[in-house]
Amino acid sequence: MQIAISIDDTDNMGSRGTGALASLLAEEIELRNWGTSRFVTRHQLLVHPDIPYTSHNSAMCFTAEIVPEHLQSIIDYAAGFLDRESATGSDPGLCVVPVDCLEQCADLIAFGRRAKEVVLSKEEAYELACRSGIHLSEHGGTGQGVIGALAGAGLRLSGNDGRLKGCLPVAVRNGRISVAELRVHGDVDEVRSIDGTELAGDEQVRLGDKVKTVLLEGKAVLLIEPLACAADGVAWQTCSKQRLKRY
Amino acid sequence: MFYVDSNGHRQFSGGQEDWQSTALLAAHCQEFLPDVEEELVSDDPRSCYNCRLRRWTATSFTCQASDICLNY
Repeated sequence: MQIAISIDDTDNMGSRGTGALASLLAEEIELRNWGTSRFVTRHQLLVHPDIPYTSHNSAMCFTAEIVPEHLQSIIDYAAGFLDRESATGSDPGLCVVPVDCLEQCADLIAFGRRAKEVVLSKEEAYELACRSGIHLSEHGGTGQGVIGALAGAGLRLSGNDGRLKGCLPVAVRNGRISVAELRVHGDVDEVRSIDGTELAGDEQVRLGDKVKTVLLEGKAVLLIEPLACAADGVAWQTCSKQRLKRY
Repeated sequence: MFYVDSNGHRQFSGGQEDWQSTALLAAHCQEFLPDVEEELVSDDPRSCYNCRLRRWTATSFTCQASDICLNY
């Protein structure tokens, strides 16, 4: 069965980031043979004076294909993990969505999208989780992180929000690589031009220092853009961080 | 580049896409602290936008470093 695990508000100014904890959870699921984890995504939520957040108000989420009988073990482990590992002064929240059994997926996605636009309450989060069969729990402080955790899961399941955590390790010759070679990279589901141009496999791409993918249509998509001045057969480049900021 | 907002926080006046100024400010800042990878948004590694001590607001960010120069 597929699950989505989302966490929020686990850090403080001096601690590990929430993304690091999400990655550790994803790894532990595989180490314990409970299932196979997919990539971790970051989802930006509303920044507003009425919302307590450390510095950016983002939630981190990953999906996993698990053996169904391990679901409760995973929830218990993740809960204990957040109890132990969350930073002092944080307000951690944990959300575990049994995706295959979810009856209100549209509502969950709508909740995630609303969390980017308006201030939501814990009551609204618990009401949705309760009627949808979603695990939602607080692990310290005010527990306010449950709102972001639930929203993060909704945004991940929307398939069209956020950037993937980490940068792609890509081996290149002379700083260039073909679209076809990028398409077979294990961490890239699809290569797209940011302007919608159809890409031929033999198109050459100049790689930036840090190559990142974004979540589009449920896939890890590497976005590229035309070079202002194509040279030496290279007409494309990977998008800069600044270009990917809005994802 | 910074002003004290109504909450007493030091807010950057350049918004969220003044890449040059934030790189220049960070280059001279003694307290610059790189944020975790997933929160980096500027291509210039040393930028206020990539600093752990910046706190995003709806239109800009506030700086939580202790000795920032407001008139820089």
